[in-house]
Amino acid sequence: MGAYLIRRLLLMALTLFGMSVLIFVMLRLVPGDIADILTNASGISDAKEKAKIAHELGIDQPILVQYGKWIGGLAHGDLGYAYVSEQPALDEILPRIPISAKLAGMALFFAVLFGLPLGVISAVRQNTRLDYLLRVVSLSGLSLPSFWLGLLVLMASVQWFGMIPIYDADRTGFWASVSMLGLPAMTVGFRSSALIMRLTRSSMLEVLRQDYIRTARSKGASIVAVNFKHALRNALLPVVTVIGIEAAFLVGGLIVTETVFNIPGVARFLVEAILWRDYPIVQNLVMLIAVVVVTINFLVDMAYMALDPRIKFAD
Amino acid sequence: MRLGMAFAATSLAVFMTTASPAFAQKAGGTLHISHRENPPSASIHEEATISVVSTFMAAFNNLVVFDPKEKTNSPDHIIGDLADSWSWDASKTKLTFKLHPGVKWHDGKPFTAKDVKCTFDAVDGADAKSDLVRKSPRKIWYQNVKDITVNGDLEVTFELKRPQSSLLSMLASGYSPIYACHANGREMRTKPIGTGPFKVTEFKRNEVIKLVKNKDYFKKGKPYLDAIEWKIVPNRSTRMLGFQSGQFDMTFDSDVSFPMLKDVMDQKKDAVCEARATAVSSNILINRDAPPFNNPEIRRAMVDTIDVKAFSQILSQGHDLDGAAMLPPPAGKWGMPKEMLATLPGHAADVEKSRAEARKIMEKLGYSASNPLKIKIATRNIAIYRDPAVILIDQLKKVYIEGDLEPIDSSVWYNKIAKKDYQLGMNLTGVAVDDPDVNFYENYYSTSERNYTGYNNPEVDKLIDQQSAETDVDKRKKLVWEIEKKLAEDVARPTIGYNVANTCWDPKVKGVNLQVNSIYNGWRFEDYWLDK
Amino acid sequence: MSVIDHDAALARAGANVTGFWSQLAFMARRYPLGAVGAVIVAIFVLTAVFADVIAPLDPTATNSKFSLAHPGSAFWLGADFMGRDMYSRIVHGARISLAVGAGAMGLGAVIGITVGLASGYLGGWFDLVLQRLLDIMQALPLLVMAIVMAASLGPSLRNTIIAIAIPLVPTVARVVRSSTLSLREQPFVEAARAVGMGELRIAVRHVLPNTLAPLIVLATAQIGSAILVEASLSFLGLGIPEPHPSWGRMLSESAAEYVRTAPWLVIFPGIAISLTVFGTNLLGDALRDILDPRQRS
Repeated sequence: MGAYLIRRLLLMALTLFGMSVLIFVMLRLVPGDIADILTNASGISDAKEKAKIAHELGIDQPILVQYGKWIGGLAHGDLGYAYVSEQPALDEILPRIPISAKLAGMALFFAVLFGLPLGVISAVRQNTRLDYLLRVVSLSGLSLPSFWLGLLVLMASVQWFGMIPIYDADRTGFWASVSMLGLPAMTVGFRSSALIMRLTRSSMLEVLRQDYIRTARSKGASIVAVNFKHALRNALLPVVTVIGIEAAFLVGGLIVTETVFNIPGVARFLVEAILWRDYPIVQNLVMLIAVVVVTINFLVDMAYMALDPRIKFAD
Repeated sequence: MRLGMAFAATSLAVFMTTASPAFAQKAGGTLHISHRENPPSASIHEEATISVVSTFMAAFNNLVVFDPKEKTNSPDHIIGDLADSWSWDASKTKLTFKLHPGVKWHDGKPFTAKDVKCTFDAVDGADAKSDLVRKSPRKIWYQNVKDITVNGDLEVTFELKRPQSSLLSMLASGYSPIYACHANGREMRTKPIGTGPFKVTEFKRNEVIKLVKNKDYFKKGKPYLDAIEWKIVPNRSTRMLGFQSGQFDMTFDSDVSFPMLKDVMDQKKDAVCEARATAVSSNILINRDAPPFNNPEIRRAMVDTIDVKAFSQILSQGHDLDGAAMLPPPAGKWGMPKEMLATLPGHAADVEKSRAEARKIMEKLGYSASNPLKIKIATRNIAIYRDPAVILIDQLKKVYIEGDLEPIDSSVWYNKIAKKDYQLGMNLTGVAVDDPDVNFYENYYSTSERNYTGYNNPEVDKLIDQQSAETDVDKRKKLVWEIEKKLAEDVARPTIGYNVANTCWDPKVKGVNLQVNSIYNGWRFEDYWLDK
Repeated sequence: MSVIDHDAALARAGANVTGFWSQLAFMARRYPLGAVGAVIVAIFVLTAVFADVIAPLDPTATNSKFSLAHPGSAFWLGADFMGRDMYSRIVHGARISLAVGAGAMGLGAVIGITVGLASGYLGGWFDLVLQRLLDIMQALPLLVMAIVMAASLGPSLRNTIIAIAIPLVPTVARVVRSSTLSLREQPFVEAARAVGMGELRIAVRHVLPNTLAPLIVLATAQIGSAILVEASLSFLGLGIPEPHPSWGRMLSESAAEYVRTAPWLVIFPGIAISLTVFGTNLLGDALRDILDPRQRS
């Protein structure tokens, strides 16, 4: 067990190191850098002015030196300075994390709230009209682009309430968060709920066919008790996995949803930073996402092993 | 002429509202405005976009300003700002300003004449060591300034190489604020200090910009507002909805296009909306050094297919103004009269006739509908650039030119043009001050940094210098028209139209006066107040 | 659940199911949702192929007179603000979506199969290095990876296909690798080796065909997500440039300006995307049931 854990952690470190190299190199392949952006933004194409800015920001140094500086800084918790705002990158990124985290958390909450029971119902009522309806709904959840769903929600909100939720950082508290993030969270959570519903359904079906369920039924346990107490508990394992993985993959959905609803979270910030070639922001944000994904994958594996005795620690 | 009437009517209305209850301004309240994008920085001298100047002009003062109560920016309506008075010497090469005493920077330090010198020495590059600005798109404005001298704390003199009456107009622009000697570039870009009516308290990237009243403002009794809050909302639909539902008191400048206007008015019946020319023109950049547009005949055929009315119809339901190199009258002070404009290529009344001629040229060169000339049209990958480019592609088809759009990332747009790595480009040009010097020197003078096409015509250069030194307005106008005509006939940078768009505000916002020949010079906000 | 024996089921159903059409009819009755999906996908592909014939107007022709025209007899689905016919644009948009969906999946599959086969078949340090590379690529969600790639490459059809294909590689490679690993030791592979067949030939002739079933299932599902990712990229301004009628791009323009004044500009391209992806998902589900009964839902 101990050796396996160490091996896993080393592999994680290796993956993150590889990611840092990949993103660093890829960003430098993007045409145009921050010096281009800053001069082009004010309509200048003068090479001298550009060189001055490039020197000031240190992007004229050899790429290895730049990489070393970044990683060296990271080791001390120093993420460097954002090019555009000229503030410490940490101060730019940190306040945006809770916004996205809240949104993702609410989205997952909605996803589980709807996905899990509907999945169970769909499995229990297999091949009925209700099952077909629920399957179509869940499949449409995987088919609707979340930005389009967001637009429809906005249009409906305008139609019915005559207004739209505009994010305001000065409003704090639980209900303020719900009123500002509720709709976006449902929009982005729809996909996840569809996925959870499908998976719950299929793993429920699997479990319902098992002998011990039949036994429980034949012993006269009530159908509800069987379905929810015995079957669901056993069907939950793969569902927990997918919830974990979905939490990481929500980041993709957050990017478009934060754009549509104008929410100043980290996900939208990433796209803006890419467009501005704000390397310190992009690099660190990408690493943040990678750390989240890798950690969740690790935790999911651990949970799997803890919950399922059939899986051995040998790789 | 619908637009001209609209201008007349609105200016009358504004005149009445500002003139009659002058004593009734109420103090207090926060003005909420929507912002279309994150400004690249807060340093006005470093940037060339309305996103910066409209937001941060309120934190500064100039030496002089265009009278904020007048509808038109004109040399006749320049009033003092930090300067109490100014005078030219007999040779018209020395301009001396007497400064207002007792003015303080937002950090409490006193403002002196030295600050004026620091500012413009940094902008025109005279002080290479200054880190007050790290780039300066308007260096060319001050190329005629030989030296700036300080006489005591309250007097400063600009010494020119030759007479140039337009210097005062350039100093009156929103783009010419006075910076503090003791500030540095980074501070000016992130949280600038000025002498102006509002202090910048917060510049949160992609989120919000907050300015609060400067209680020690040297103009007594001003400003009336307690604070201004700009919320950055990149999606235009969301901005409009925010305005309609009362979350914003005012839209971003020229944000309401004509197709949207009706909806805004329907949803918010009491909204006050005003259309004005934005002083931003769509124009075509031509690479004259490479095939096929090194051939003057093809240049001519290309310009002959342009139907400015169709552009205007699509982009603004016909409100955009047809003009040559200068903003056309009545909004513009210098543009040539309509009859003269109709004789220029690309502005003909009968487009079908000129297209037939263009097709003849193209056929002579061996092109036809089945064998079109294939070209690429570069443009910035932003809607306001792409839209006219898409229309241009459609119009070029009519003269056997098949264009393919090449969207260029904004970050490298001017690099690409400067490297001559294009055939045709769709471009937008904003002119800060409706003055021929500002426009011609920036965009057409052979040595200008912003003459992106590298247009080089010694004859035109000479005429530009000549009109600049001319002090008689009518004689100068004639020279300006001659330059406009030469540029058009040479197909230097065909103008497709001057954008007209609407700005709306809630009726409780008072003291608004939008100037008709530039969007860049009237954002001090010291006369705005809220009636509630 | 055991493998579904369709032939046996067919046999039970009687003699009238021997022809191609009657077999198809049988399948349609057995998998009604899959049949709906197949019809949607067929319509989508036909629309893309015959876009020039189906679309009444040039999708890039502007006309100031019809700016924001309402849906009606002249413009079935209305016109955008440049007066371009939305119906024609959506029809031509199918072509772009198909090109991106099939192109990205095809490219991703080719690279993924090569990597997966090599990795699973050769094993050793080679496998180890490739696996770590795939780990790195999978450390970012698909859309995030595609966004970074698209921004590096610049907006164009070709670059969009590449930007979506690369993040698809790891999934394909992993599927191929795992089936290769289990197949490598199978008796028929041993037999081929015994008769002196070259390793490359074994890999391509014997191992690859046997990984096909899970691949087809995966590919159908991935085409849908490729189309969705393209729409998202174009919506964010990183995908297919104007004036090409990409569905995602149409939404991004109209969403920014005309959500209220011209809702048809928002509704119809969205329906087109959703319906197409929905169709591929339905079909993918049915194919999985047919080809890969172990994962049956």
